[in-house]
Amino acid sequence: MTAPRLSRRTYVFAYLALLALTLITTLIAYLNLGVWSTVIAIGIATVMASIVAGIMMHALYESLLIRIIVSGGIIWFFFMITLTLGDYISRGWLPVPGK
Amino acid sequence: MIEAVPVEVEKNYLTEKQGVLSWFLTTDHKRIAILYTVAVTALFFLGGFFALMMRLELLSPRNWLVSAETYNKLFTMHGIIMVWFFLIPSIPNTLGNFVMPMALGAKDLAFPKLNLLSWYVFMFAAAVTVYALFRGGVDTGWTFYTPFSTSYSTTYVVAAAVGIFISGFSSILTGLNFIATTHKMRAPGLTWYRLPIFVWSMYATSLILVLATPVLAITLLMVAVERIFQVGIFDPALGGDPVLFQHMFWFYSHPAVYIMVLPAMAVVSEIIPAFARKPLFGYKAVAWSSIAIATLGFLVWGHHMFTAGTSVYSAMVFSFLSYCIAVPSAIKVFNWAATIYKGSISWDTPMLYAIGFVGLFTIGGMTGLFLAALGFDVHVQDTYFVVAHFHYIMVGGTVMAFLGGVHYWWPKISGKMYPEGLARVCAIVVFLGFNLTFFPQFVLGYLGMPRRYAAYPEEFQFLHILSTAGATILGVGYVAPLLYLLWAWKYAKPATSNPWRATGLEWKTPSPPPAHNFESTPVVNTRPYDYEAMKEELDLV
Amino acid sequence: MSDPVALELREQFATPEQQRETASAGMWIFLMTEVLMFGALFSAYTVYRILHPQGFALGSSEMDILLGSINTAILLTTSLMMAFAESNAQEGNERWLAICLIAVMLLGAVFLYVKFSEYIEHYHEHKAPGFWFEDSSPYANNVQLFFVFYFIMTGLHAVHMIIGIGIMAFLLFRTWVGSFSAQYHTPIVIGGLYWHFVDIVWIFLYAIFYLPGLHR
Ligand SMILES: [Cu+2]
Repeated sequence: MTAPRLSRRTYVFAYLALLALTLITTLIAYLNLGVWSTVIAIGIATVMASIVAGIMMHALYESLLIRIIVSGGIIWFFFMITLTLGDYISRGWLPVPGK
Repeated sequence: MIEAVPVEVEKNYLTEKQGVLSWFLTTDHKRIAILYTVAVTALFFLGGFFALMMRLELLSPRNWLVSAETYNKLFTMHGIIMVWFFLIPSIPNTLGNFVMPMALGAKDLAFPKLNLLSWYVFMFAAAVTVYALFRGGVDTGWTFYTPFSTSYSTTYVVAAAVGIFISGFSSILTGLNFIATTHKMRAPGLTWYRLPIFVWSMYATSLILVLATPVLAITLLMVAVERIFQVGIFDPALGGDPVLFQHMFWFYSHPAVYIMVLPAMAVVSEIIPAFARKPLFGYKAVAWSSIAIATLGFLVWGHHMFTAGTSVYSAMVFSFLSYCIAVPSAIKVFNWAATIYKGSISWDTPMLYAIGFVGLFTIGGMTGLFLAALGFDVHVQDTYFVVAHFHYIMVGGTVMAFLGGVHYWWPKISGKMYPEGLARVCAIVVFLGFNLTFFPQFVLGYLGMPRRYAAYPEEFQFLHILSTAGATILGVGYVAPLLYLLWAWKYAKPATSNPWRATGLEWKTPSPPPAHNFESTPVVNTRPYDYEAMKEELDLV
Repeated sequence: MSDPVALELREQFATPEQQRETASAGMWIFLMTEVLMFGALFSAYTVYRILHPQGFALGSSEMDILLGSINTAILLTTSLMMAFAESNAQEGNERWLAICLIAVMLLGAVFLYVKFSEYIEHYHEHKAPGFWFEDSSPYANNVQLFFVFYFIMTGLHAVHMIIGIGIMAFLLFRTWVGSFSAQYHTPIVIGGLYWHFVDIVWIFLYAIFYLPGLHR
């Protein structure tokens, strides 16, 4: 397949969306929503990252191979963080000191 | 083996260009494979020397040869050199580099310059590490456990960590190159299910190289930062957590075991069908089990930390997942056994090593299951049982397969045969020496002998003497092939293009191959290991 | 042999298409190693933030949200410029390609300038980790841990930015000597992938270091 081509219009729209999301996430950060503050901040960052990856880097328009590579990296990151946090979060569940 | 007049070639990759610079500036994957072979062989014997010193020290229950401090440095340096400078690059960068592009019918890897760069990076990393070792060594163990490595050790931890950090880039470049090559450089008609298992396993290895190595790099960087600035990254007194280091370290280092053993499986999967004259049994299962091992291998690292204070729930999950990874490993073993079953077997040297691999890997793998069991692990944690277990995988597995692969592809690499009778004797010596070295260590560990001690209670001495005797035999078994292969390079009789009558594209080109591997790009329209269908064609060679 | 595509075809490839796709796959694989590398730091940061919520909140409140937001906007703009550079390359418009690359480099330099002025500010406030670190709160050690991760992660990001500017300079040089055309401009695309990825890293750094300090 040939290299994906996107119009400048698409890039500009993506750019404006990114700027808007930056503004929104900053404004939301001023509210104290407890643990949701972090969830929302990371959520919006993920959306922004997806826009950069999907449109600016045109991953959305790439071959199956590229999409597999990208999902691989993300899945492996989740392997790492899930199993690591799993240990820290489940410590103290058992009413035995040190477990 | 059949006698035949060697095919006369005008120029091959060895004679194409002459001079030192033609080697140090080469981008030919075959020449880079040889550069790597020279480097890792030297480092293997350096690491082996440290092992020999340790075994000598352990002849006596008391320190008689080296001090306890020196002993600490010996086992650390043995581990660092063997893990990162021999086992990790051993098969992928030597045999993998040499064979993989040819097995794909390609002229070279996807990124030949990166390939050469990876060798230079590797050599630089090795230089930094060896410098650290000879300036005074490191005494943390190859695992660099915190807070000892960050706060207490007075040795050259940062220099060694930097060396390993740099070697990580070499691993990443190799893995990246192999993945891109497998996807994009296959010959016309060479679909995924027509690839030799060698390529599948190298591909799985590369996945691990690419996905695990960056985590090790960043972990060692944090160790270095913590050691230099003492800011509490892993120091409990300042709010850090030493167990987090273990999580990050083993996220790399457990998969690293599969970086070492998957290439060994790759080699063995080529040798066994060739010397049993049968197609590999259960091809698709063996192929996908490589990918399954590479994936599951990332989900089991917590089994190194059962006694480190992780939560019981986490330990149970990791224990369960560690059992799961035995499934794809067993699939491979059963399929190799089924391939051998009713085959017409010839006991040439590569086959001896391959059969040895299957047996020793099975013992190593089965004892791994013992260690994955929570209760038993608490009993033998940090004993010689663990030492014996992973040496069965890494030495009994990887080194055996490496030697088997070197003999198998030696005719292709050098264009010469090797002394078959002597080689067979050496293969048997290696097998016996290995078992004499490491089997007593299972017993020692079960009886309670902890690892990493220079002195021990007297009742363990007999088993330690057995082990040292075995190590001596093993040492002879390793030096001899080096000598006769060097001799064979110059003086042995020339090899034909396909002395083993094996399938695989690398055997369809002259020995040694021309610089661009093939006279014309091969086209593939058969399944792999088609020994029965191709009987006549192969026997004509 | 005056065809620029044929000139750029390496001997191991059969077609320019194969070469382009391989190069692109290679870059994406490399970026996934970067995902895992920053991912490891991100995981460690998350663990410590869960273990020490107060100290990390205090550390985060030392961040300058204005400078952080400006830097985010700057980086997003460089991404747009990089995307335009690619469009110009595809059209064979070398002049505008060069202008876009220069814009990327200049804005990248501005980002680094702002970043380093923040570093200097933290240093003067004794927030740089090490023996010069001072904090009067009961969570001083944990605030220091926050700053350790802040400096390692943003520092590593800054190193990637510097490398990125170097790559842009190299691409600019090759544009200037006329290596690129509408048919062959793979290095622009590959360099762009790297640049955009560094941008993505910053988006997450902004979210985990700057934003949590805003609410008390
Ligand atoms: Cu393990």
